[in-house]
Amino acid sequence: MSDRPRVYTTEGVILRRRNIGEADSIFTVFSPTEGKFDAVARGVRKARSHMRGHLEPLTRSKLLIAHGRTLDVFTQAETISGYRAIREDLDACTFALYCAELIDRFSADREPHQDVYSLLLDVLDALDAKAPPHAVRHFELSLLSFMGYEPQFDACALCGARLAEEDVLLSASAGGFVCHDCRSRAGAGRVISVRAIKVLRYTRASSLAQFAALKLDEQLGREVQSAVAELIRYALDREPLSGKYLDQVARLPRLAPPVSDRDDVQSL
Amino acid sequence: MPDGGGSTPEPITRLIEAFHKLPGVGPKSAQRLAYHILRAPEQDARNLAAALVEVKQRIMFCSVCLNITESDPCSYCQDPRRDRSIICVVEQPLDIMALERAGGFRGLYHVLHGVLNPMDGIGPEDIHIRELLTRLQSGEVKEVIMATNPSLEGEATSMYIQRLIGPAGVKVTRLARGLPSGADLEYTDDVTLARALEGRQEL
Repeated sequence: MSDRPRVYTTEGVILRRRNIGEADSIFTVFSPTEGKFDAVARGVRKARSHMRGHLEPLTRSKLLIAHGRTLDVFTQAETISGYRAIREDLDACTFALYCAELIDRFSADREPHQDVYSLLLDVLDALDAKAPPHAVRHFELSLLSFMGYEPQFDACALCGARLAEEDVLLSASAGGFVCHDCRSRAGAGRVISVRAIKVLRYTRASSLAQFAALKLDEQLGREVQSAVAELIRYALDREPLSGKYLDQVARLPRLAPPVSDRDDVQSL
Repeated sequence: MPDGGGSTPEPITRLIEAFHKLPGVGPKSAQRLAYHILRAPEQDARNLAAALVEVKQRIMFCSVCLNITESDPCSYCQDPRRDRSIICVVEQPLDIMALERAGGFRGLYHVLHGVLNPMDGIGPEDIHIRELLTRLQSGEVKEVIMATNPSLEGEATSMYIQRLIGPAGVKVTRLARGLPSGADLEYTDDVTLARALEGRQEL
């Protein structure tokens, strides 16, 4: 114990913040070397804090952290990527927060997972580059695979038979697509169109960036979204908290933002 | 807690427990506060008790702007000299005090009592957005200034409200974001610095 260095360095993406006391906050960080962990930043809510902007949620930062008795303490932080475009777009910001929640819920404390970290960076980079919403599907399905919940998309999840070129049942409890013969014993599920099947399978054959480049019409986008949402809900055994907010933002009216005519005020 | 009852008189235990419920007060601080009250002049204790009761009885939320107030509507909403065409939207009542201290704003306020925080399950229905929409229906309001904190949650809240009320034709503006006085450039994060650079002004 006494040989243990007092501080360690890592990088990580800030997933969430909880304020405690007068000016401190506890941040949940996801790091490629440390996994998910909580650490406290003292005085970070004061205007003159040196670490304030570097520890905002959805920031990727280099971190110097001191071992603490109960909680580790941030001693230095410097932004690697601030993902400004995500911050300034309601949709991107909503999707990114949803991804952060999934990472938080699916990962255990202090269990590093390099692939999941790369996946998180991929989705944040994509959203920062204004990727369409369905990029998040690739993230969700890859995350499920890394976490051991990879759905069976190639054959019937129950009997292993080849699937015909037709609508199939997607059953979260069966663990993937279910062929026509097995439907009666598959439990709850939803019928997925041939087009959506192809999209879901393409997540396996593509990188996140390639998948994001796909053009999906609105109906297909929605079908794939609700199919994957069901798989996530089943794996988590609960609804992600940001899921409802995602729907609320999607229902908002979409108009070009009003342009401010004064130059000393910034229009949103 | 001292010794689980027994020797400590019951009223003291109750007081200690009451203090212990306050934010940031641990068991030891709660004991110290309780024994301080015990030694303090009786009048001090009476004043404290009266203040506690009064704050719960006499303070309410303004039915217009949701600021904390003694009279409804609050003094800002009642003041005929204030500009009714501008509403400044803030997170907390304390933010109004800060803005008033700074001076320079003569419009009305709206307190959200929170910000959107999807990861903690705090959505639009949990903060007072609907009341803001109701206020905009009269058509009297020409500009809404979003003065939520420049944090991820504050920005998200601003963008949400902007998209919600955009179709109503009301101008939505945001407080400028940049460097606070006393800041060090060296320690400033990239997003803030980039915004500060964009928002530079001629000297």
